[in-house]
Order: sequence, then structure tokens, then C-alpha cells
Amino acid sequence: MKTVNFVLSGLGGQGILFMTKIFATTALNKGYNILGAETHGMAQRGGSVVSHLRIGDARSSLIRAGAADFLISMDESESYRYLPYLKKGGKLFANAPSNAFPDERVAAFLDRMQIEPFAMEASKTAMDLGSPKSTNLAMIAFYSAFGVGPLSADDLRATVDDISPGPFKEKNLKIFDTCHETGRKMV
Amino acid sequence: MKEEFLLGNGAIAIGLLEAGCQIMTSYPGTPSSEILPEVVRFSKAANLNTGIEWSVNEKVAFDNAFAAAISGKRAACCMKMVGLNVAADSFMSAAYIGNIGGLVIISCDDPGPHSSQTEQDSRMMARLGKVPVFDPSSPEEARAMIKTAFDLSEEFEVPVLVRPAIRICHARQNIKYDKFETNLTKADFKKEPTRWASTPKFRFIQHKALNEKHIKISEKFSSLTPYNTHNIAKGINYPFGVVTGGVPSSVIKDLFEEYERDDIPVLKLGAPYPFPEKLADEFMDACDKVLVIEETDTVIEYMLRDKQKTLGRLSGHVPMEGELLPEKIEGILNKALSDCKTAPLSDYDSGMEAFSLVGGLELPIRKPTLCPGCPHRSSFYSIRKALPKAIFTSDIGCYTLGSNLGVVDTVLDMGAGITMASGFWNAYIQDDVKKPIVATMGDSTFFHSGTTGLINAVYNNSRFILVILDNYITAMTGMQPAITQGDRVDGSKGNPIALETIVKGCGVEYIKVVDPYDTKNMISVVKEAYEHVNDPDGGIAVVIARHPCVIGFKDAAIPEKFEVKVTDECNDCGFCHQRFECPALYRDEKTEMTQINPVLCVQCGVCLQICPQGAIVIA
Repeated sequence: MKTVNFVLSGLGGQGILFMTKIFATTALNKGYNILGAETHGMAQRGGSVVSHLRIGDARSSLIRAGAADFLISMDESESYRYLPYLKKGGKLFANAPSNAFPDERVAAFLDRMQIEPFAMEASKTAMDLGSPKSTNLAMIAFYSAFGVGPLSADDLRATVDDISPGPFKEKNLKIFDTCHETGRKMV
Repeated sequence: MKEEFLLGNGAIAIGLLEAGCQIMTSYPGTPSSEILPEVVRFSKAANLNTGIEWSVNEKVAFDNAFAAAISGKRAACCMKMVGLNVAADSFMSAAYIGNIGGLVIISCDDPGPHSSQTEQDSRMMARLGKVPVFDPSSPEEARAMIKTAFDLSEEFEVPVLVRPAIRICHARQNIKYDKFETNLTKADFKKEPTRWASTPKFRFIQHKALNEKHIKISEKFSSLTPYNTHNIAKGINYPFGVVTGGVPSSVIKDLFEEYERDDIPVLKLGAPYPFPEKLADEFMDACDKVLVIEETDTVIEYMLRDKQKTLGRLSGHVPMEGELLPEKIEGILNKALSDCKTAPLSDYDSGMEAFSLVGGLELPIRKPTLCPGCPHRSSFYSIRKALPKAIFTSDIGCYTLGSNLGVVDTVLDMGAGITMASGFWNAYIQDDVKKPIVATMGDSTFFHSGTTGLINAVYNNSRFILVILDNYITAMTGMQPAITQGDRVDGSKGNPIALETIVKGCGVEYIKVVDPYDTKNMISVVKEAYEHVNDPDGGIAVVIARHPCVIGFKDAAIPEKFEVKVTDECNDCGFCHQRFECPALYRDEKTEMTQINPVLCVQCGVCLQICPQGAIVIA
């Protein structure tokens, strides 16, 4: 399989490592090889966090700028910060109001690079459903609605079901289903 | 067979246990910190009797492992690369003396740097200490190299260094593993004073023997596939080749595969020192030009020795500083290939256009900052309030971020908060100036390398205030347990040691303990401490600012919670942002007032004490 590259970005505290874990566990269950690169230590205290995930048989843990298939960001600014990682024809998923995304200053660039942007207010939805810290799950579910990449919505949902601790399971699946549905309406 | 999506540090831990490592010591430091806890986890799960400790510093860790190795056991110690500086005294002698059981030192490098003070290359230290070195290119390879390193260490009776860079340590990879080696070697130290306690005369003999070992190891490294290998076909001449190792070698393999460039031969040196001369000669003879891509210094490049043929840092093709990110490597290769009249990989601009577009967006600058509720923030606030004109020497840890609050003027290395305070005192007092100086240092750093400097300062009659920021934990590197609590890495109880006892033992007479959450009290104690410093019969004053880390101890660190709000009294003076800088306080552009972010606020209530207008109140 050709390596599929995910760049995940967000702010410290939004749970990017948990987000990575959901994708990685799903890929592992499908029998794929995976490589990832994380931020720890002083860099972690900085606010802007990024995680690289490569599904396939790559050797380097870092994704090259211009080589990511998908950029999934839990914050609008952090989605722009990592834009250079997306390849021509890549797809951008951001936690932002869909009627005001993307910023007009990047629209021409996205057009030229044939990058499709998709946005939903993931934090707001998570907050409304009573889990303000579940922006990460909301974004995975939103992404899963578009049927792109090697991991299906059913597989991702199964992982969420599997690794959510008892008291959070129901809430997490509700967020997943709601945000997946939001995405489905945009397909 | 189990499979996990493991950190590179986890893969290294598996490698250590697969190699039958019996004794494992470490001092935490990014990016090495997770190795030891992972060894604990796997060792416990497999019921192994591995001897594991967080040592007080890297030199202590090294010496402990060394003694185990000369008793015949397999031992390892791990640290970040600047930790190897702390252990350097031992490290420089170790190869001369040698070992019986395998001794593997893991020194994790941080090209970037992401979380360190330097970008030093541990392979250089290996060269200086005459210690063979391995440079893994992936977590899986790091795991395998550990076993090879132990075998080599025992075969030649020399310590061996493995230097995973941050992109190995903090990479993740799916790793399959099964059973671990149960190594039952008993400690059996055989006395041999001319070896283990050798005098200079014997050191000369040992040096000669070491040099002879190096010739043999260099030969071995010339055929050490797959770590050291090239893909030159016999009898063919190549206009351009690449010499690489470690993390960049993985990037280059990916690039050549992606762009289908099997016309460019690669010499990969995963074990670059002692330099595999024969293998390198074969490669150099077959290529007209070679480009060296290595992190972060010019180790291989110097050892190739052919200036006419070699491109790299010295020819200006490779940057002298910074991490060799994949897009940078692509750009370097394109330029070098073009210079050698060979087709480049691509016309890709290394993301220049996209990066400059993003640069123009003026995205929020997110500089590192202390966590909401961090007791260090309160300490820094009080110190600055009490002695605004002091020189503030500080140290390595979370509290380095006190620089944002104007209370960290210097950071040199572990321990320098104290030693530079006495240095400043001496420099000023020579001119009859009694300069106020406040040193800050965390509890773990104080144990690591604070006492020597403090004893020296007391003995030589320097005067300053030392504030020990005691949060019961080593926070920055991932919440390792503190000596003051006596908890050991495997969860067992050790013997706790009180900071007060040590400070008193260093000869300090003025010792006060405060809770930094009470800023009013801390301000008055720091002022009082300064009177002691200034008193002709006084001396060094130590204030222990004691409060648990809010990340490490969560709710237990905030026994009383305060929900706070900002009233209309807020006049947008900005004092709370500049002097307190809590991430939960933000300026609302619309109302032009400070607001509280309830998602970030941990309700510590310290901000109730700091607003000059009294506009922050209990909700």
C-alpha cells in the first residue's frame, strides 16, 4: 500500500495524543504498519501541538512538507500553521465555522493546490453535548464522514467504542455519531 | 506475540530487556525520559528481576551502571545528550578501563533543538571518549541495535554508546515482541587494581590496548550489515552518491523510493565510529562526488577526509544548525544533485511558497508558558514584587519559563542557578557593590547539581537568596517521582530526604518554607530573607517555595477551589498578563477587558491576589 500521511494539529490540552491513538489503534487493527511523530517536553508547553501519522511502509516518522494526504486540525489557526504539509490534492479538515472557512487569504492557495477544505464547529458541538474536552473525537468523526483514506468510519467508531472507558463510552459514541452525521450532510 | 504502537523509547526498552540487561539507571531528560519507565513496565509484566533506578544525576547513573558491568552484569544507563556532559568525567575513562558485562550508554540527541539548550551530537562525545557508537534510523532498528551493542561491548570489553535522536525517541511505530531474555549472571567482581584502579602508567597501556581494539572494531563495522551498508554495484562508477546515517538515512530512503531514484547509491553508517574505513573506501572509490547528510555535526564528513569529493556542511550544502527535516533534505539533495550535473529529485520548493503564505497570516504566537495554577508562577510573581531590581539567575526545568515573567535572567546548565549567583556576587562585591541576587532552582535540579555550588557559596561567603521551587516532582520531563517523597520508579518506597536537611547540611542558617499560593506571605519572606543576606552577620538565605505540581497531583494540588470572574473594575492595565501570564486569563478584544477561560482555569484562586484594581473576584 502507498503510504497515507496524516498531520493532526491543535492546541496543548485538546488531546492530540488521544486522537493519534484512535487513528493508530484502528490502523493497527487493520494490520497496517504505522509510524508516528509526537511533541514532548518543553515544546509541549508551547500551545501549538502537532502529530504526524503515517500508515503504510514508510521509514521516516516525519511527514515532508507538501506530502500529507490529510490535515485534521482542532483549531482554525493551527490548521493554517500546518498548511504547507498538505500535498497537491490533499484534504483539510478544521474545527471552524463552515460558513467562514477558510480565511480568504488562503483560498487562492488552496484552489491552486486543489486542496478541499471542510470545516465544522467541533468544539461547540462537543460543548453542547456536554463534553467540552472532546474536540478530538468530534474531528475524527467529522473526518470519517467523507470516506477518504484507508480507515473507514465503522472501524474508527469501533476503536472509540473499544477504548473509551466505561463512564465515557456512551457520551463519546454520541459525539462520534453526531459529528459523523454533520459531515455526511456536507458530502 | 504482542504488538504495540510504541514510542521509540519503548522500543529501546524492549531492546534492553531482550538483550538481558540486568541493571538500568537513568536521570530524566527530554527526549530520553520514557525509556526507564517503559523498562519498568515490561520488566514487571514479564516478572523479571531487573534492577532499575532513577539516579540523582547522570554521572551517578553512569557510575552505578559501570560498577554493575565490571561485576560481570549487563548494565545500561540512559540520559539526554546534555546529561552525557554531566557524566563526561566517567565516560572519558570508561573505555580505557573497559568492562566485563556489557555496558551500553544511551544518549538521546535533540536536533532542533526542541527541548534542550544545545544541538550537540553525541557521536562527537563517543569520538572524544573513544567509545564505539550506534546511530539508529528507526525505533525498530534502535531496538535491534541495543542487542548488537551489548554483544559488541562484551566481545571487546568496551562500553558502547547508542544515540537515538529525538525522531527515534518520540517516533511511534508498531512493534511486535515476545519473550525477554532472563539473564541470571551473578555479580562477581574480580579484583585487579592495575585495571580497575589504574594509575597513569597503566592508563597509557590501557590506551594503547583500546586503540588496538578500535582497529578491530573498525574492521567489524565495515561488514556490519544492515547497520553499515552500501548498494554500490561492483565495477560501476557513479557521478554522485550519498553518505548518511541515523534519522536522515530513513528520510533519504523514503525520498529515493518515492522518486524512483535507484541511480543514486547510498552508504548508510548506523555504526559510524570507530569509522568503518574499508566500507567507506569502497564507496568513495566508486563515486565522483558524495554528499554527506548527518545530524547534527560533521562526524562522518570529517572522517571521510576527501575534501575534493565530499559535499556537506563544510561545502555549504547542508545547514550547520537545526534539524534536518524531510523537506530540508529534499532541498539539499536537489541543490547538490544539480551542482553535480545530475537530475534533481524534483522542482519542489521545500514548501517555500506555502510557508511564506502562512508567515504572512500573523497567526497567534504561542510561546511556551507555565500551566494554569502552576505554583512557580506565583513564586516568580512574589520574587519580582519583593526584589524588582535583583539579578535573577535560574536553571533548567519548567521554571525556565519564568523568563516570560521577567524573573529569569540567566540559564546556563543544571546547577548554574546557584553557581552563577555566587559568581555575580563575587563580580559585584569586588567593586564594593552589594547586588541583590535571587537564584531559582527546582527540587530535582537542586538534588542533581545544586549542593556543590551551595557549599562553595557558603564557604566563600557569597550572598544571595536561593528559592528552591519544590513541587514534589520532576515535572518538565514527565512527572518523575521526587527524592523528597522517597518514591522510586518501580513504585517501591525508598528513603525520602528533606530539602531542609540538605540545605542546613550545606551550612545555610536561614531556611524558610512558604506556600507560594500565599503571595502576600511569600513577598514578605523574600524581603526578610534579603535583610539576612544584607546583614554583616547574615549569609545566604534559602526560601523553599513548596506546593505540589498541578499537573502531577491534579486536584490534590488545589485543596480549595475558587471560581473567579472579572468585574467592570478591570481597566485593561495589562498587569496580570505581563506579570502573572496565566493562560486562563485573556484579553477580550471586544470588551477590552481581561476575561477568564473556564476550560483552562483550574480555580487555584491565586489571581485573586494580584489585580491592582481588585477586579478579579470570587464568582
